[in-house]
Formats: sequence, C-alpha cells, structure tokens
Amino acid sequence: MTRLEATRAICTVAGDAAIIASLGHPAYDLFAADDRPRNFYTWGSMGLASSIGLGLALARPDVRVFVLDGDGSLLMNLGSLATIGLLHPPNLVVIVMDNEEYATTGGQPTPTAYGADLDAAARAMRVDATTVRTEAELTAAVAHQGSRVVVAKVTESVPTAKPPLDYVGIRDRFMTALGGVRG
Amino acid sequence: MTNPVPRWAAGVCQGVHGAGSRDVVYVPDNPLSHVLGQLRERLPDVRLVLATREEEAFGIAAGLFLGGKRPTVLLQSSGLGNSLNALTSLLIPYRIPVLVVVSMRGDLGEWNAAQMPMGRAVRSILEAIEIPHVTVESAETTAEVVRVAGLRAFETRLPAACLLPRRLTTGA
Repeated sequence: MTRLEATRAICTVAGDAAIIASLGHPAYDLFAADDRPRNFYTWGSMGLASSIGLGLALARPDVRVFVLDGDGSLLMNLGSLATIGLLHPPNLVVIVMDNEEYATTGGQPTPTAYGADLDAAARAMRVDATTVRTEAELTAAVAHQGSRVVVAKVTESVPTAKPPLDYVGIRDRFMTALGGVRG
Repeated sequence: MTNPVPRWAAGVCQGVHGAGSRDVVYVPDNPLSHVLGQLRERLPDVRLVLATREEEAFGIAAGLFLGGKRPTVLLQSSGLGNSLNALTSLLIPYRIPVLVVVSMRGDLGEWNAAQMPMGRAVRSILEAIEIPHVTVESAETTAEVVRVAGLRAFETRLPAACLLPRRLTTGA
C-alpha cells in the first residue's frame, strides 16, 4: 500500500471527522486524496500533528479526530504518546504513515527502518495500538472507539499536489467547517 | 487548614479566567505550582492539561483553539527555547492565539548559572519573533495584567506573553 492509497482509504471512511495532517508528504497526499474543509494542513511545526489533534479532540468531544502523522514526525514528539495515554480522549486516532524514511527531505532512513517500533512505543505509553499493511486492515483499524495509534506500513509515493500556502485560509475553512466556533 | 495562596498566584488565576480561558496547558515549575493548586481548588471549570514538553504544550493549545477554546500555556522561561518552532511555524503563521504565562528564571534572585543565558534572552527572543510581552510588576496588578495580555492574544489572534519575574514569584 502506498501512502496515497492509505490516505484515500482513510478519506473514504472519514465521514465528518476532522483530519490533521503532518507537514510535507502526509499533507500533500491528503490534499490530493480529498481536499475536504475538515482537513487541517500543517506547513511547519514538525512533530506536533498528534498534539494538535489531541487538543482538538479535547475541545470537541463531539468530533472524531484523525491525525495523519509520519514516522519521522512522531519520533520528534514521542512525549505526545504519554500525554495521549494519560488523557485517552475517546475520539482521537493517530495514523502513522510509516514509510521508514524522511521522504519529504530526500528519503533518509528513519529509525523505524532499523526496527524502532512505534506500535510498541504507543502501547508502552498506555495507548491502544495496532499495525496495518493493507487498506482493508487500515479502514477497520481507524473505525475504533477510544484513542488509538494505527501504524500504517506504507511505501513512498511521489506527491503530485500541494495544499495552498494560505495558512489563515486553511485555519478559517477548517474552523468554519467544524462550526460553532469563532476564528 | 490550607496553605495561604500567594496573592500573585491568585491573580494569575483570576487573570486567566477573566480573559475567558478555561483550558490551561502546562509544564510545571516551582512557582507555577501555586497557580496550578489554586486552579484545581478554586476554579473547577478550568481544564488542566499536563504536557511533557513546552513545544508539545503549544501544539495542544493550537488544537484547543481550532476547537473553539481560548487556551493558556503556563511554562518556565527555560521552556521558551523548546517552544520556538511551534510558535514560529504554527501559531504565528496560522494566527492561533494563546495566552502565554512565563515563570521567569535567570532574573534577579537567580542562583543557577544554567538558567542565566535563557533568562536574559527571553524578552529579546519574544521581540525577535514579534510576540508582545508584558512583565507583571506587583502582586496587586497581576490579575489585571494577565487578563489584558490574554485579551490581547484572543482579540488579535496571536500569542501574547505575560512574564512573572522571580521577585514577584519568590520574593527575591
């Protein structure tokens, strides 16, 4: 499964979930797969997608929150797993697009290429976790009540599109789509 | 019998609450323990979220804002260094406001040389990244200064910082 295929599979089952995408290729693929108003594309703050998703999940318990993270990105903010394990919001699913490389910066291998196990890391922080390798496994894994980390083993696919560099526009569209809030 | 609450700490709580913030993300430090204790005891409508690192705290705060909340981040000044990428590549470009309450180290009364360089640099760093800051000068004015800093953040949709010097928080 390529990352784009995995992203498309998530979009088909996302419904009205909010999706927070980590910078670079995860955000590019989300834009290419389905540019939904409930997508929040980050253009920086590497590592923080799961934290943004956690804050949103706490603020809006009525909204399902999906995070499209990367293996390199989550490795920058492993403490986030401890915080999610502490608070365990029932509406947060962090999907780690684990291609075992820093694809956005040229394909340097990440520690997961040598056996670092983000599924085990999540479990160690008391977060439910699973690893998937097919689109069917992925869509089943994200249909979950309770916070969860889904490590999706993916192959790199060269992104073909990028979201606009309109940061405030991304924010405003997202917040308007979620409704009931002021930007 | 309860321990007396320092007046400045009660003021921080009042200021946070008065600015409409009901979500406080924090990385603890010693003076801030007074604020956290007071929030727990007196303001049960405020949600406290412990972060493992200051940068993470700002990420959580950003998500809270996207969900319609008015977040506050409490941190020690040493943690500002951990926060710069979140501030400059998320909160500022996306115009995500946070009331930032900074317990200062490295100013008058500091005993630990490891705290001095960052303590000296805090204001310069905030100015370099164009985050407005104000320093609380007395316990009596704490509530109002924190509240106004919060309103500045939430009305302008940018982070705004409120600095708590050690002479305020430790009586140095």
